[in-house]
Amino acid sequence: MNSTVASEYSSEVHSTPIEHRFNPYSDNGGTVLGIAGEDFAVLAGDTRQVVGYSINSRYEPKIFNVGDDIVMTANGFAADGAALIDKFKNQLKWYKFDHNGKKLSIKSAARYIQHLLYGKRFFPYYVSTLIAGLDEEGKGAVYSYDPVGSYEKEQCRAGGAAASLIMPFLDNQVNFKNQYVPGTDGKEKRPLRYLSLDEVLQLVKDAFSSATERHIQVGDGLEIFIVTKEGVRVEYYPLKRD
Amino acid sequence: MPGLSFDNYQRNHFLTTRGYGQPTATSTGTTIVGCKFKGGVVIAADTRATAGPIVADKNCEKLHRLAPKIWCAGAGTAADTEMVTQLIASNLELHSLHQNSQPRVITALTMLKQHLFKYQGHLGAYLIVAGVDPTGAHLLSVQAHGSTDIGQYQSLGSGSLAAMAVLESHWVPDMSKEDAMKLCADAIESGIWNDLGSGSNVDLCVMEVGKDAELYRNHLTPNVRSEKARSYKFARGTTAVLRESIRDILDVEETVITFGSASVDAMEVDA
Amino acid sequence: MNGISVDINHLKKGEVNLGTSIMAVKFKDGVILGADSRTTTGSYIANRVTDKLTQIHDTIYCCRSGSAADTQAVADMVKYYLQMYASQLPFDEKPQTKIAANIFQEICYNNKDNLTAGIICAGYDKVNKGTVYSIPIGGSIHQQEYAIAGSGSTFVYGWCNENFKPEMEREECVDFIKTALAEAIKWDGSSGGVIRMVVLTEAGVERLVYYPEDYQK
Repeated sequence: MNSTVASEYSSEVHSTPIEHRFNPYSDNGGTVLGIAGEDFAVLAGDTRQVVGYSINSRYEPKIFNVGDDIVMTANGFAADGAALIDKFKNQLKWYKFDHNGKKLSIKSAARYIQHLLYGKRFFPYYVSTLIAGLDEEGKGAVYSYDPVGSYEKEQCRAGGAAASLIMPFLDNQVNFKNQYVPGTDGKEKRPLRYLSLDEVLQLVKDAFSSATERHIQVGDGLEIFIVTKEGVRVEYYPLKRD
Repeated sequence: MPGLSFDNYQRNHFLTTRGYGQPTATSTGTTIVGCKFKGGVVIAADTRATAGPIVADKNCEKLHRLAPKIWCAGAGTAADTEMVTQLIASNLELHSLHQNSQPRVITALTMLKQHLFKYQGHLGAYLIVAGVDPTGAHLLSVQAHGSTDIGQYQSLGSGSLAAMAVLESHWVPDMSKEDAMKLCADAIESGIWNDLGSGSNVDLCVMEVGKDAELYRNHLTPNVRSEKARSYKFARGTTAVLRESIRDILDVEETVITFGSASVDAMEVDA
Repeated sequence: MNGISVDINHLKKGEVNLGTSIMAVKFKDGVILGADSRTTTGSYIANRVTDKLTQIHDTIYCCRSGSAADTQAVADMVKYYLQMYASQLPFDEKPQTKIAANIFQEICYNNKDNLTAGIICAGYDKVNKGTVYSIPIGGSIHQQEYAIAGSGSTFVYGWCNENFKPEMEREECVDFIKTALAEAIKWDGSSGGVIRMVVLTEAGVERLVYYPEDYQK
């Protein structure tokens, strides 16, 4: 029986030092997701903005049509996100002035955003960035970034507060991960196929209503930007407000 | 050995210095309120339990019974509110048996504050204690460090500011039972909508002098989940069976007994 | 543990603080205690109608400042000790104020490493009439004509020193306390609410409450 161990509890330091340095970053919650289809792409995000346990706004859009049929979001620290998007929109305007109104391809936009992010390598934009649109062949395209500009073209990606809740759901439902053809004893993966826009929209709604159930920073409203060859369209659906 | 075990204290302290953090307890970032009315008292709570930003339980119970007519609402560390409440409930019953009288709210409060003070705030229990006893209806609160307050209306938890805003603007003296119930429910709802640590439903408990306490579990349910857009039924066999192993964990023996004319003797009990 | 380097003024994280204005004044017929009614946790007012004037015996009261939990625990202990002590006295005798004050002092001194408690103990007893004792944070004891304490008291040290008179009439003493506390509340952010008073005399206990519209000019 040695239920107690001798120790000098009284000599231990109890107080944690108080940091007096200004912290330039904060976390504004929210979550976003992008899915690329065969001839369309969607970028969706909730419209709640928070800090700590408080709600700043129940409708603060964070997905933007930045022009040239490209939609963009930068989720995380809202001020950095807005700054990044403003900077990109501004640069796109100057690109058009300088190049006789030439349309910027999503491929070029993606590479340019990498440079914007890496430009602040040692004082990063505290955001996970996503852009969506159509590529040169008219196929849906989604690009995702880390805070300092590492990027990749993907079929689908979730970002922000509830990314860890949504991403596994997307892996399973969009890329059919962990699904096998019945009767093949796990030898044959379920074959991939392009999802229709209706199916994608259903997945997006369910992803967000589920994330709202289990993540306190997600809720209030869902705004979905849809890019097709006809252009950009926006849809809005209410989410739970608790 | 009774009481808390500190066996792992030094090991955990060592682990902390090596970069392994302490495990985080489920905190009921909560809204709880209480309000007196003419001839009784009512307490209420939301039903969300959180672990960081994740909702750990969408419909947990934060209203605890200390005695049949003394209830308390708990905020803070879920485990602490639960355990401290059970301990005091137990001691209160022994005490009332010993004294041969109904337990009193002030007794419950004194036991709680002395227990919490002993632990110097390390038990993160913030409670609103209410009830009726031979001396009338009472509404009190205890904080983790052992301090107590008295009031006609109270709120505690992360949503206490949102709830107090409602209480301060709508409370009037000598309310009816129905008005007090409405006020408490409204205060909790304010926490549910405006505080991220609070959510889901409203639980309510009414204690009236000369009557049994009434618990209204899920008095309001303003956050029912909407129907999903898609069905997520998987075709049978989608998940591969990699290995199958069936074991007998008991041997089944069968013995057949035939009941013939010979067995009649054996069945005679009152011969 | 090195007693000199111990920070006894720190509050534990999230602790309820009585950032307070309290005082007790001797007057002709006995003693009057006064206090504001604000309790804070950080910048939030946890209670705006707190009663910081705590009864220790029939005509012995104390004003509490510092940690709410610590001062309540200490007051509960003193109340208990004094009950035990009073039960041993002859039938018609009551404990003297100095007994209560010295129990406070003993507890505050012996547990100084673990307590954040600034207490004013005052009362009326037949032998000494009105008496005031101040027991500040380290656990010392000081008998005084009047005592002021808490964060708000710093603003009225000069005023009280200039305007205090021994053997005041009751109304004059009430005005003295009311004016001092009104001024303390005005300048100290962690004091506020109503002004509570307790008048302790031969006649017994009388409670007074003054609302902001009454004391703010």
